[in-house]
Amino acid sequence: MRSGPTNFMKKGRVIDWIMERLVAFCGVAIGLMVVGMFAYLALESRYAFDRKFPYGFRIAAQPVSAPRSEAVEMDPNASILTSHMDGMDGLDDKESIPMPTLAELQGVATLATGSLVEGDLKNIDPLMLARDNWQSWHDAGGQRKFLLFAFATPEHQDKSFVLRWEPDAAFDADLSVHNLRLKLIKAPVGIDAPAVDIDLRARPRGEIELPVFIARSDDERTQGYVFELESTPTGISAIGATLRGFFKTEWAPTTQYPRYGLMPLLLSTVIITILAILFAIGPALLTALYLSEFAPHRLREWLKPIIELLASIPTVVLGYFGLMIVAPGLMATVGKAFGMESGRSLLTAAVVMAVLIIPTIASIAEDGLRNIPRSLRDGAEALGLTSTESIRRVILPAARPALYAALLLGFARAIGETMIVWILSGGTPAMPTGVDALVASTRGIADTVGIEMANVEFEQPHYGHLFLIGLVLFAITIVCNLLGQRLARRAAWRS
Amino acid sequence: MAVLGSSRPNQAELHGRDVRRLRHGKFLIGVATTVHYLVVAMTLALIGTILVKGLPAISWEFLTSYPAEGMTQGGIWPMLRGSILLMVGTLALTLPFGLLGGIWLAEYAGDGRMARTLRASIATLAGTPSIIFGLFGLAIFVLKLKLGTSLLAGWFTLALFSIPIVVLTTEQALRAVPESIEDGAIALGLSRWQTIWKVMLPSALPGVMTGLVLTVTRAAGEAPPILMTAAIYYSTEKLSLGWETLKKPVANLPYHLAEGYRQGGVIPEKIIWGTCLTLMLFVLTINLFAIVIRTRARKKAGW
Repeated sequence: MRSGPTNFMKKGRVIDWIMERLVAFCGVAIGLMVVGMFAYLALESRYAFDRKFPYGFRIAAQPVSAPRSEAVEMDPNASILTSHMDGMDGLDDKESIPMPTLAELQGVATLATGSLVEGDLKNIDPLMLARDNWQSWHDAGGQRKFLLFAFATPEHQDKSFVLRWEPDAAFDADLSVHNLRLKLIKAPVGIDAPAVDIDLRARPRGEIELPVFIARSDDERTQGYVFELESTPTGISAIGATLRGFFKTEWAPTTQYPRYGLMPLLLSTVIITILAILFAIGPALLTALYLSEFAPHRLREWLKPIIELLASIPTVVLGYFGLMIVAPGLMATVGKAFGMESGRSLLTAAVVMAVLIIPTIASIAEDGLRNIPRSLRDGAEALGLTSTESIRRVILPAARPALYAALLLGFARAIGETMIVWILSGGTPAMPTGVDALVASTRGIADTVGIEMANVEFEQPHYGHLFLIGLVLFAITIVCNLLGQRLARRAAWRS
Repeated sequence: MAVLGSSRPNQAELHGRDVRRLRHGKFLIGVATTVHYLVVAMTLALIGTILVKGLPAISWEFLTSYPAEGMTQGGIWPMLRGSILLMVGTLALTLPFGLLGGIWLAEYAGDGRMARTLRASIATLAGTPSIIFGLFGLAIFVLKLKLGTSLLAGWFTLALFSIPIVVLTTEQALRAVPESIEDGAIALGLSRWQTIWKVMLPSALPGVMTGLVLTVTRAAGEAPPILMTAAIYYSTEKLSLGWETLKKPVANLPYHLAEGYRQGGVIPEKIIWGTCLTLMLFVLTINLFAIVIRTRARKKAGW
C-alpha cells in the first residue's frame, strides 16, 4: 500500500523513456531506408564503370609486293573464327597442336603473339601465328598488353612490309574506356626503324611501312620487331563512356563486345505502362465513381473487397493467366489482323498490366472522391444540380489532384512490374519503333534485371549495369511516388 | 449522396430541360454501374478460370508429395513448404519493426517537417517495385554479408519489402482509434507508453494484424525479391528443421512458376494451373480471413 502507485508510475516513466527512443530509432531508420537503399544500389553499380573494355582491333602484317586485294582479307569472320576455333580446341591439350616452323611459313611477313616473362621474350603462341591474315586481338581476362612479333621467313623477297590495323566490325573505338596504343618497343638488331607510337582511339585504322627483318631460324622469330598493344584505363572518361553506352539503343550484354544500351528496354517499359494506363483509366475511374457516389452502402462493403481481391492475386499467377488465356485470345483476334508471331508481345503485356493496375487506380481514386467534403456536395445540391452535374462540375474538379495521384501511383506500380512483362512480353530486347512493335516481342527494364541476374557473373560489368538499370527504375518510382503523394495530400480535404 | 438524381422529385413538375438533365444523370450512373460490374465480373472470371483449371490438378497427394520425373509429375510439397517457411520468417521479422515504426509515426512523430519527410520516404519505399528489393537483397545479404542464396537472405529481403507497408497500415490502424479512448487512458494516469501498449494497441490490433498479414502474404506471393536471394528450382530434400536450413536456398511457389516459365514448357500445363491455384489460394484465403476479421472487429468496436 505504501508506494504501489508510485512504483507503477516510476516504472512507467522508465519504460516511457526507453520506448520513446526505441520507437523513434525504428521510425527514423525505416524512414531513412530509402536513402540507404538508393545509395547502396548506386555503390553496387560501380562495377558497370569498372569494365574491361575489349581491344577489338585486327592487325595484319603484309608484304608490300603482294596484291592488296588478295592480301587484305576483309571478311573478318573467316580468319578470326578459325583462329579462335583453333584456340578453343587447343585449350585442353596444347602439346598436340603442331607449331608451324619457319619452313612452313614460306616467304611471308608474319605476326605472332607472345608474352613477356621476366624480361625475356618467350612463349610465342603458335596458335596465334597469322599468315597474311588479319588477326584479332581483344581483351582476354584483364590482360592489358599484347606483344606482337613481326618477322619474315628466309624465302621472303620484299624489302619492306606493311603493318595495318583497323577496329573489329562490332567494335567502336570511340566508346572504349581505355587508351589504346600501338607501340614499337624493340626493333631487330641492325635495322633502322622509325619510332612507332600510335593512339588507336585517335587513329582507329591505318598502316605503317617498315623494313623487313628476316628470321633465319625459329629462335630468331623472337629477335624480330616487337610491338606492344597497350590498353590503359582512362580515369574519368570511363564514367562518361559507360554512361554514353548506357543511353544507346542496343542491349546485347553477352556478346563479344557487350552493348549495354538501356533505351530499348526503357522505351518498351514506358510504352507498356502508358498503354496499360490507357486501358485501365476508364474502368478504374468509373469503378471508383460508382463505389464512391452511386453504390448503396451495404453493397459497397462487398464490392470493394472483390476489387481488392484482384490486387492481391500474385503477379506470377496473373502472368500465367495472361500466357494461357489472354495471349491465345489476342492471337486469335488482333494477332490475325496484324501478323502477330506469337501471343507474347508488348500489347499482351500491356493488357494484363491494365488488369493489374485497375484496382490500384480505382482504390486511390475512390479514396480521393470520398474525401470530398460533405459541404461541397451539399452546396451543389442546394444549387439544384443533378448528380451528374454535381459530379462533373464540383466533385471531379475538386478530386482532380487525387485522380492524378491515382494515375501516377498506378504508373509507378506498372513500371516496376517484373513477372507480367517477363512472361508476356516475349523477351526480345528490341527498340520499339513503329506500330508493328506493338504486336512484336519486346522486353522491359524490371524483367531484364530478373531474367539476366540469374546468369550473370557477380561484380562484373554486366552485373553493374543491371544495378544501374535498377537505379533508373528506383529513381522513376521515387519521383512518381513523391509526386503522387503530394497530389493526394493536396486533395485530402480536412473539413 | 442525396443529390437531385436520387431524390425523385415529381416528374410532372419538371420542365423538359430538367428531364433531360436527369436523364443525362441516369446515363452516367448507368455507365459507371455497368463498367464497375464488368470489372467485378472480370475479377470473378479471372479467379474462376484459375479455380476451374487448377482444381482438377489439386489433391492431397499433389500438395504433399515431391516432384518426380524432372518436374513433369508428382506434387509441389517442397515449394509449398518453402513458401510457408518464407512467410513465417518474414512475419516474425516484420512484426516488431513494422509495429514500432508505425507507433512512432502515429504517436510520436508529430507533424513537423522531419516527420513529414520521413513519412513520405516510408510511403515511397512502400511503393517501390519488389525487384529493387531483390537487387538490394542480392547485393547486401547474399554477397556483402555472405549469406549466399539462402532462406535467411530471403527472410531479410522480404522483411525489407514488407516493413514500410506494415508501418503505414499500423499507423493507419492506430490513428483510427478514437481520441476519447486515448484521452481516457491518460486521464486515468497511464504513462504514454502504457496508453499505447495497454489501451491503443489492443483496440487497433485487428487493423494492425490485418495489415501485417495482407502485406506478408503479398510478399510471399512475389517472385522478384526471392529470385536472386533465396530461391532454388529443383528441391527434393526432406525437411530437416535446423540451423542448416537457414543457410540453404528454398524452393517456393512463385519462383517455381517463374523458373518453370524460363525453362520453357517442361512442366505440364495441368501442374502449372495447379501450382497457380495453390499460390492464389495460399494468398487469398489468408487475405480473406484477415479481411473478415477486420470487418468483424470494426463492427464490434462500433467505429
